[in-house]
Amino acid sequence: MSDLSEYKFTFAGGVHPPENKAITEDCAICQGPVSKQLLIPLSQHIGAICEPKVKKGDIVKAGDVIGDCEAFVTAAIHSPINGVVKDISLGSHPVLGRVKSIRIEVDQENNQPRQPSVEFERAVDVSRYTPEQICEAVKKAGIVGMGGAGFPTRVKIEPNPRLPKKTLIINACECEPYITCDYRIMLEWTNQVIAGIQLAQKSSGCGEVFIGVEDNKPEAIRALREALEETEGADDYKVVALKTKYPQGGERQLIKAVTGKYVPTGSIPPMVGVVVLNVATAAAIAEAVVCGRPLTHRVVTVTGEAIAKPGNYYVPIGTSINDLIEFCGGVTEKSAKVLSGGPMMGIAIADLDTPITKTSGAVTILTKEDIGKAKYKKRQTPCIRCGRCLEACPENLNPTKIAHAVKYNRFDISESYYISACVECGCCSYVCPANIEITGHIKTGKIHLARQKKQMPQ
Amino acid sequence: MLKDLRVSCSPHIGQRYSTRQVMADVIIALAPAFLFAVYYFRQYALILVSTCVLTCVLTEWICNLICKKQDSLGDLSAVVTGIILAFSVPPSLPWWSAVIGSVFAVAIGKMVFGGLGANIFNPAMVGRAFLTASFGMLMTTWTVPATIDTAAAMPAVSVASQNVDARTQATPLAWSKEVIKHKADVKIVNGQIREMFFGEVGGCLGETSALALIIGGIYLLIRKTISFHIPLAVLLSAGAFAAIAYFINPEANMLPLAHILSGGLLICAFFIATDPVTAPLTRRGMWLFGIGIGTITMLIRVVGEYPGGVMYSVLLMNAFTPLIDRLFKRVPAGGKPHV
Repeated sequence: MSDLSEYKFTFAGGVHPPENKAITEDCAICQGPVSKQLLIPLSQHIGAICEPKVKKGDIVKAGDVIGDCEAFVTAAIHSPINGVVKDISLGSHPVLGRVKSIRIEVDQENNQPRQPSVEFERAVDVSRYTPEQICEAVKKAGIVGMGGAGFPTRVKIEPNPRLPKKTLIINACECEPYITCDYRIMLEWTNQVIAGIQLAQKSSGCGEVFIGVEDNKPEAIRALREALEETEGADDYKVVALKTKYPQGGERQLIKAVTGKYVPTGSIPPMVGVVVLNVATAAAIAEAVVCGRPLTHRVVTVTGEAIAKPGNYYVPIGTSINDLIEFCGGVTEKSAKVLSGGPMMGIAIADLDTPITKTSGAVTILTKEDIGKAKYKKRQTPCIRCGRCLEACPENLNPTKIAHAVKYNRFDISESYYISACVECGCCSYVCPANIEITGHIKTGKIHLARQKKQMPQ
Repeated sequence: MLKDLRVSCSPHIGQRYSTRQVMADVIIALAPAFLFAVYYFRQYALILVSTCVLTCVLTEWICNLICKKQDSLGDLSAVVTGIILAFSVPPSLPWWSAVIGSVFAVAIGKMVFGGLGANIFNPAMVGRAFLTASFGMLMTTWTVPATIDTAAAMPAVSVASQNVDARTQATPLAWSKEVIKHKADVKIVNGQIREMFFGEVGGCLGETSALALIIGGIYLLIRKTISFHIPLAVLLSAGAFAAIAYFINPEANMLPLAHILSGGLLICAFFIATDPVTAPLTRRGMWLFGIGIGTITMLIRVVGEYPGGVMYSVLLMNAFTPLIDRLFKRVPAGGKPHV
């Protein structure tokens, strides 16, 4: 729809790991398992942890608020199903370790699995919603960024007179290997995604809208462009084909690729008038505003060579990874690692009862071969200062210097090499011929520094 | 089924490219120069290279044993050190001094600092510097390539070498020093560019054939084992220096091309200066490092007493590497944070 399409937008640095998306990219979104019980963490977002709004023994219905908080930066949590609150205690969490969670026993007889919304078979007229209505609906639905970070969406799209928003960028890159949930959402729920984008634009007051898709998803680009042409008021949205490269879907890299400018170090996108939303988030916004449904389900890609039935499943939040793996036919003996997320930024799971949260887009099961012998055995050799990590760093940092400063507890040196500017994408560790856990060291250093500055408990 | 699960921090996959492969690439890239060396210097090449490589590997093994460190021979860095050391000594060097040089290169040049990655100076150059200081005579006796019948191509410079061993000959660079000292004719050197390109001149074992070194260098560049910054900076700065010198006094100075093709400049540009351990990390640092090596080499060659300056310029710039790294810090993509 514009001549922008021929030009490859990108950023400097980055890597291109094997995509491995073929495993699940042709699997249509289908219903996930019906678990016996769900474990719903009270913190699935950045910001204040929710307080439980139910007691042990309470009967809850699908869509009931079970956790909420008065703070500004937070997101309400809803029950995905009908059931009984069995317990409120610490439970495994993919990112935070252990977190206060609500355990709900599912009412097996009295539950219809939630179907994807049917209102979006054709384009939706968004003119009847006011920005205030949209914000309120998004807040009520407890929507957070579903790409991984989990920043409350309402904070992002709310008009802020001090920081007016000019550009809305939809993150449809899905640069992480293996994961295909956003791709399937774009293909199957195209109208819903576009409605969500229109609503977000209206609420935030952005003048221009870009949809950034990596060029390894031509089907998605075509589907979005066709749907945009048919949608009223969306024909000036630009679908931008970005170079297929990791981390193209990193917020800062995406903004650079689309607008040509980096967000200043230490600053956040709203400070330069940019809002970035993930496609799954856009779909959730549409569902919340048009159908009034809270964010209680999401699409999860279950993938890897070791799993019997890989696919993209629509599952209630709180479903344990174990239930999901069992539902997908279990895994073969070759499996060596279970990840919440993809192989570049995903988190290795130690407890299979860890639930799916609002931000987990995938469960990836890696085999020894996928990981590689050296990484599997954690065999590291000394840094030979080859400089590959410098070339790969999308933030133009000096990863090896930072990592070695942290290794020897010289956090002052790591700060002088701008440790805080690291986005933890993992490119440096990926390319390192010595197999040094550079990203791991940098993460450790950040935690130590936060503790030194008393921003974090010991 | 899911019992032996591993946890570690992300990323969980990695590029299949190890330090051993980096070193293997360098060895492959040195192969053409080795073949040329065998062709020109016959048994000398075989004896020297095998002696140096074996001694280097053995030294590293013993050092690891003494220090109770994990065996590190698998990274092949000792092999690379051995080959480069062998390539940078005269073909006629006796095997026992090659052994002494190799032991010094690995033990003092590398292992005392803590092994690969921790050394400040290029180990091969440390070994060569030790040999030059200890066996000055042996290190400046040059054998004529076996393919040349007589030493007619390059007139023997000193009476001693004429009488004692007819098979030795001045290198182009040594000849250019004679030019300055004894007002000999520089044109003889300048007329030898074709021979220098193919390697039919006297010189160190692996550095005579410019062709072989360029092939190896291009291989490394294609494999992205090295980046073009350091070689280009070395060659451009040396060429520019030589051009200025030639412009000022064409009677006494070699052609810039002759300077680039002769001596150790090419092996230095592609294989020695690019040793990642002892070179700066950032691109701007690499430019400065390369320019430093090129300029110091030419200073020694044109102004100094010593014919070849590669070794000392590399060692000097190695010492500056930490400073250069500090001087040229990378600035984050989003600019320096406002604190």
